Amino acid sequence: MAGVIPINVRRTNQNKARERTLQTSKVIPIFLTAIALIFFILMLIVPLVSVFVKAFEQGAGLYYAAISDPIAFKAIKLTLITISIVVPINTVFGLIAAWAIAKFKFKGKNLLITFIDLPFAISPVVAGLIFVLLFSTSYGLFAPLLNAWGIKIIFAPAGIVLATLFVTLPFVARELIPLMEAQGTSEEEAALTLGASGFKTFLFITLPNIKWALIYSIMLTAARAAGEFGAVSVVSGHIRGLTNTVPLHVEILYNEYKFSAAFAVASLLTVIAIINVIIKNIADWKIKQQTKI
Amino acid sequence: MVGGFDMSIEISNITKTFDSFKALNNIHLKINTGELVALLGPSGSGKTTLLRIIAGLERADGGSIIFDGKDNTKKTTQDRKVGFVFQHYALFKHMTVFENIAFGLKVRPSKLRPSKEEINKKVHELLALVKMEELAKRYPSQLSGGQRQRIALARALVVEPKVLLLDEPFGALDAKVRKDLRRWLRKLHDKYPITSVFVTHDQEEALDVADRIVILNQGKIEQIGTPEEVYDNPVNPFVYNFLGNVNLFHGRVHKGKAEFGSLKLDVPEHLEARDRQVVSYTRPHDIEICLEAQGHEFIAAEIIFIRAIGPIVNLEMKRVDNGEYIEAEISKENYRNLKLKLGQIVYVKPRDFRIFIPEDYVI
Repeated sequence: MAGVIPINVRRTNQNKARERTLQTSKVIPIFLTAIALIFFILMLIVPLVSVFVKAFEQGAGLYYAAISDPIAFKAIKLTLITISIVVPINTVFGLIAAWAIAKFKFKGKNLLITFIDLPFAISPVVAGLIFVLLFSTSYGLFAPLLNAWGIKIIFAPAGIVLATLFVTLPFVARELIPLMEAQGTSEEEAALTLGASGFKTFLFITLPNIKWALIYSIMLTAARAAGEFGAVSVVSGHIRGLTNTVPLHVEILYNEYKFSAAFAVASLLTVIAIINVIIKNIADWKIKQQTKI
Repeated sequence: MVGGFDMSIEISNITKTFDSFKALNNIHLKINTGELVALLGPSGSGKTTLLRIIAGLERADGGSIIFDGKDNTKKTTQDRKVGFVFQHYALFKHMTVFENIAFGLKVRPSKLRPSKEEINKKVHELLALVKMEELAKRYPSQLSGGQRQRIALARALVVEPKVLLLDEPFGALDAKVRKDLRRWLRKLHDKYPITSVFVTHDQEEALDVADRIVILNQGKIEQIGTPEEVYDNPVNPFVYNFLGNVNLFHGRVHKGKAEFGSLKLDVPEHLEARDRQVVSYTRPHDIEICLEAQGHEFIAAEIIFIRAIGPIVNLEMKRVDNGEYIEAEISKENYRNLKLKLGQIVYVKPRDFRIFIPEDYVI
């Protein structure tokens, strides 16, 4: 009996030694890392840098002129308005949906998850067309109603908001569901046994636990809302100074061969993307810290 | 016993089904004021479900839960005012130890909330009780398992519950810490006016700490009794098997005579039995060992393993007649007197012999 133990010990030592040799052969990891790095530099860093290089090609003066041009300014304003409507709505919806899906059992849960994923599956152009078919004042499903009340949705800011809402709907819920499911319900249950109301439990327990993932998903929603092109392009009508968002304005400048101006405006969107990546990294780090227990 | 409080728990007719799985079947149980009761059973026996139903974290399909004579069946968890210690502690990760313990007081509606100083005082009282005052500013991830467990207890006690429910409170701890903590829990329970129920799958833990043990199996209560009662007088083979080590003997009973291989015994309580298959259980410390055969009450067996560490010597033997294994525990003194060796043939007699006739097949 006693003789068995040392043999086992020796065996595990051998295993450890084998693992070590795998880790110490350095050629393969260096090779693989190099390939990945070169790929990322070519595909991501070079284009990113070139956006800014191109934007400032003809000097900071032209850069400033491009983004402070009244029409560009109106495009930025419309984009900001869209963000300020879409982000709160989709954040609240995403939170509610994630909370329901992750913490409760109910019938139709899978159906709800499928619906949340729908905007990911549908091409943004098709999403835009859906809204045209519904709300166009000439041939839309609700055309008589809209005409009777004098409401304009297609070729108007309202349509842009609707299309953006649709496209950015899944981000918050999708980011939160896996995290909330992994966290389980025991902390919430502990709060309930201590007499906390459902609302206080959500406010003091659930929300702090998902804080960083929520911040990141809000940023992601905002970035996508700012950058959405396809769906918005279909419903917008490209009316300068009225229904042009930042990405649509970039396209117009590009089509008019105003490359530096196009890149200058595009650089604004790129800055949002970079901020996103930074926040994502902070969020991941914070979540890892929190879930260490 | 601490006087001046009354908090009995009456569980009657509780049934719970998950999908098609019957987790609890018609449970009746009365827990008296100030008792420390263990719900003991294998995994899937329904013990945690029963605890969660008492806390209101789970709804029973039928039956009622009565606290101190008042029907609590429809009350929410918040209104039941029970202290609950979760299996993996469920400490609030983003709060310090202090904030964790203070939580139960801070979330009270403003009319019932104690002042900041009072909360401060109460939390420090509890930190002193669990001997963790110097760790108030730490986060749960910076604590050891035993420390987390104690904080979870302090957090549950801050609202001064009359009922304390603990789900596998020591399950995730190592053996040494577990033993210390369960003694400590016993002392704590005796000091506080509180009725406690804890869930465990560890029979040693239940026998060591509880006033009474409720043994659950497949959603049903098999036996309720003090540790002595359930250990010494198990009502059925399941309880026998579940509590402590046992030797199992298969044999036959006919007109008050039992036969287990070469072992023959008189069993006057089974006079009416006619050639029935029976099983019998004997605890390892109820096995007597002799060097020579004395009549029919002995079984010849070969010693195949000896562990002589500590005051108790464990022996493993193989029966000569049918090859079944027998485990025995004898004192070191006895072991030295007998001069037992590996491979030696000895004669074994079960001292305390319980015979169970398996239920007839019912279709």
